Order: sequence, then C-alpha cells, then structure tokens
Amino acid sequence: MSKRDILMEVENVSVTFGSGATAVEAVKNCSLTLNEGEPIGIVGESGSGKSTLARVMAGLQPPSAGAIRFRGDNVFKGNKSFQSGNRNQVQMVFQDPYGSLNPQLNGLSAVAEAVRIHTKVGKDESEQKALELLERMGIGKLDALKRPRQLSGGQRQRVSVARALSANPTVLLADEPTSAIDQSAQAQLLKLFLGLLNDGLSIVLVSHDLGVIRYLTKRVYVMKDGVFVESGDTDTVFNDPQEDYTKMLLASIPGELGKAARAKLKK
Amino acid sequence: MTPNVKLLDINNVAIGIKRRKRETLVIVREANFDVNYGEMVGIVGESGSGKTMICRAIIGTLERRGASVIGGEVLFEGLDLRTINEAKWKTLRGKVIGYVPQSALAGPNPVLTIEKQLAEALSQVEGTGSMKNRSKELLDLVKIRRVDTVMKQYPYQLSGGMRQRVMIACALASKPKLLIADEPTTGLDVTVQSQIMELLREIRRDLGTAIILISHDLALVDEVCDKIVVMHAGATVEVGPTSSMATPRHPYTVALNSSRIDVAKPGGELLTIKGNPPSVGQWNPGCRFAERCDYVQQDCLVGEHPALSGNKGEHQSACLHADKIGKI
Repeated sequence: MSKRDILMEVENVSVTFGSGATAVEAVKNCSLTLNEGEPIGIVGESGSGKSTLARVMAGLQPPSAGAIRFRGDNVFKGNKSFQSGNRNQVQMVFQDPYGSLNPQLNGLSAVAEAVRIHTKVGKDESEQKALELLERMGIGKLDALKRPRQLSGGQRQRVSVARALSANPTVLLADEPTSAIDQSAQAQLLKLFLGLLNDGLSIVLVSHDLGVIRYLTKRVYVMKDGVFVESGDTDTVFNDPQEDYTKMLLASIPGELGKAARAKLKK
Repeated sequence: MTPNVKLLDINNVAIGIKRRKRETLVIVREANFDVNYGEMVGIVGESGSGKTMICRAIIGTLERRGASVIGGEVLFEGLDLRTINEAKWKTLRGKVIGYVPQSALAGPNPVLTIEKQLAEALSQVEGTGSMKNRSKELLDLVKIRRVDTVMKQYPYQLSGGMRQRVMIACALASKPKLLIADEPTTGLDVTVQSQIMELLREIRRDLGTAIILISHDLALVDEVCDKIVVMHAGATVEVGPTSSMATPRHPYTVALNSSRIDVAKPGGELLTIKGNPPSVGQWNPGCRFAERCDYVQQDCLVGEHPALSGNKGEHQSACLHADKIGKI
C-alpha cells in the first residue's frame, strides 16, 4: 500500500467554554491527522472532550485556538465559519438517532431533503437518490416510508447514516453511533461501515466502546480530560498499552477483550 | 445465603396488553426461568424481546401500563404473585423485591437532595438510628465517597455513575431478597460499568441478595452471572448455567454470540442476525425465530412455539433441532 495522502489535520486545537474563573477547557492542544480512506478512533470517557473535538472537526464548533486543515486549507478562516466548499465533505452521525431525526418525516423524506440541500436536484431525482442510499444501508422501500418511531433503533441509526451520506462526503464522523442500539444492530452497522471504508470513505469513530474501536479502526487516540494521553496503531495500543489510563480503560471491557488487560493489570 | 433453593419461579408466563374491542395483544408467552436465593441471573435479548415486561410482572407494575399476566405462574417464595392484592404488593414491592430502573440518569427525583431521596426510601422500612446515619450507611454500601457532600447535592450535580449508585442505594434500603437491575449500565462509560458490576457482585456476596441483571450485552452477562436466560420475541429460548452457555443450544444464542464484538477479529467476519425481530405480538405459527434461523426445517414452521427441553435448573433449549447446532 502506498503512503496515503493526508486528508484532515487537527493542529494544536483547544476549545474553551465560558470565560474567566468558570472557563472550562474541554479540549487542550490536541493534534491529529486523518489520512485519505482511513478509519481512526477517538476513545475516552464521558467528559473527556472527544465529542467536542468531533464537533470541531465537523465544523459545528469553532476552536478557541489552533487550526483544522482539510486538504491543506484552513477551514475556519477569519470569521470562524467553515469554508463553504468543504463544508459538506465532512458529515456527522450522532449518538441518538431518535433525537437527530425529524419525528414528522419518514426516512425517505428525511434523506431526500438532505439530498436536495446538498446536490440541488429536483424532488423525483432526490427521492430516487434517497432510496438508493437507504437501500445501501439495508433499509427497503417499505421501511423507508416509516417514521422514526416506527423503526427499530438500529434502523433509525442506519437512516441517519444514509442522510449523512447524501452529501457524498469524504469523511464520516460518527459520534458514539453504536451506544444506543442492540448488539446485533451494532454488528449490522459496523458491517456497513466496513463497506463504506472499502468505497474509500474516511471514518472518524468517536466512542467509549473499545470493542467497536478495535474492530473498525486502524489508529486510535486515547483522550482524557481534553488531552490525548496515548495514540498509535490500534493493534499496538490494545496489545501493549503504555499509559496507566489506557490499561485501566482496557481492563474495564467486559468479556474476552478485557481479560488479558485485567490479567496484566493484576501483575 | 441458601444455595440452590428457589426464590423466584417464572413458569410459562404470558403477558398481554389490552387493546380496543376487548382484543388482547400478547407480548410475552412461554417465559420460563427461575432464580435461586443469592443467585445472579442475566436476561439477554434484543429490544422488544420482553425482558423489561417480565421484570414489571415480578414487581407488579404491569397494570399501570395496561398490561397483565394472562397465563402461567410467577412464584416468589412459593407465593403466586398473580393472586395477591395491592395491599400485599406494598409489602413486597421495593421492600422484598428491589428494582433499579433502566434510565439511571433520569432515575432520581431532580428536586430532592440525595439525603431526602434516601430518607424517602428509608421511611418505608423499619430501622434503628437516625435517618441521617441510615442514609450515610446506604451511601457507604454503594461505595460513594465524600458522603457528607453528596448527601446535600442534587442529582444534576452527580455523574451518571454516581446517580446509578444512588438508585441502587435506594433499592437496597430495605435489604431486599431480590434486586432487579434493568440495563443498569446503558449509557454509562465502560469504566463506570465495570465499577457498577463490581458493586453488584459485592452486594450479592455481602448481603446475599439475588440479582436479576437485564442487559443486551452478552459479554457482560457472561462475566458476572451464574445463569443466563436468553429471550426472543417474548419467549425464553435458552436458559442454563453460564458455563454451559459457552456451547449454545439455540440458533438465536449462536447468532447473538457471533455478533459479539469482543471476540471478533478486527475488520473480520461479524455475523449479523437475518432480518428484524418479529413485531410485538405478531407471530407466525411455529418457532418465532424460524424466519431468521439458519437451521430452519419444515416442522419449525407449524404448530406452537417449541417448549424448553429438559428440566428447570438444567441447560434448556427451545429448539426442535438443538442437536444439529454447530454441525451445519
């Protein structure tokens, strides 16, 4: 495999909420790179700043300091808004599909609306495209006409992935996509993500579920209190963690995955 | 702790919801398992498989949702819970049977301090000493540090893990014989999850409380429970001691096992279960898993849902072709 091109760079990004004595620095001086077609993971506990960083990468939250580069261009320029041309290249899937889908719209309308916004095509054409996207996510025409509350958790999450794909993005940012769904639905979603990777999409997976991170990503960043405490190849980090925090995190996983880490920790 | 003596016996239980025109929608049928004194039992299954409904039947809150037990027996210490009145329920619910509901984050009353919260739970049971000291003891029991500070705080000031501990403390106020924890760690971090599991294990060990742990995480249940109950479409499809469940005897358990992320190779084959679970109450004749099953035969598609084989307490499966599993 030839050396991949760098797609996105996060350079010394900090995010501060509030000011003065009550200021909270959610992300502190974090840097990461995302290569073309690569799956990376950001892992950490609640409050570690991983979602904030994801929001910065998606252009939803301007950084207080530092820069985000997309194919070399700084995406937050001057007025701190995301450069329009690249805006839809990075799409996000949120944790709770029930909260992020419009309860009034069926899956087809929700996705077709996004297609129209991103590609400026007519109604018929957008619905056709939406059906294709939903089909690719394993949602048939019958289910596509259902509203979110009539769908299962896994189906809802796949509708929101289809919606994210409607912009034809190069990067998919998934913030805890599997934490609200069943184990079997999770397996289904991960299979779809593998397919998307094969099609050349880059994926940033933000999760506290280390099983999911290990399964899907090639490189991982471990985040704690707004700082990356460890990063590297997912295999290396899982088999030979250097930081105590990472070791503790690994030992907490139930089942086979955590067993080895727990044994090591006891020594 | 009295080992191997039945505390709870769920015997062929069916639960229905009343709909219009006197029509009843059956959401659970053929639920079968038992819980011994001091035993930790895990119930796993997809959303909608009836896990939570069974729990509601055990604590008698089905009626509030327009549902009721329409068949079988729910025996708690030999007493059929179907036959008792509300007055009797009040002596059981929250006292002999504790319940930790699913949404821990929304669980505690937001306008009560933790002290008042616990006092409310404690006021329902007899005890000696001041309310404050008894509340403190409870918080100690669930390993909350800085007890004095926490007592004065409101739920919003606590983290998810702490709130869940408070909920467990409330449920333990009356030293119940059975504690039901309905997905107690959903939405919590792995590190917090492992702490809560450790806590449940300690409660079981130190107080001898029997625990029913509901989860859809097979890896988790596998690790902490003595016995596993697998539910699919309202029925118990497999039940057995955790050690024997390593060789599952129902295709649904096999499928659940193969979708486990912790044993999968990175990027490797991750088997998914075909289709979706059947809609609640809309079941075809025969085995309710047949449509999604790799082992399906002609006889699976007719008659009643297969009954569990063997005797209670043993490894039981509700598959007609359990002997073929792993051989195709």
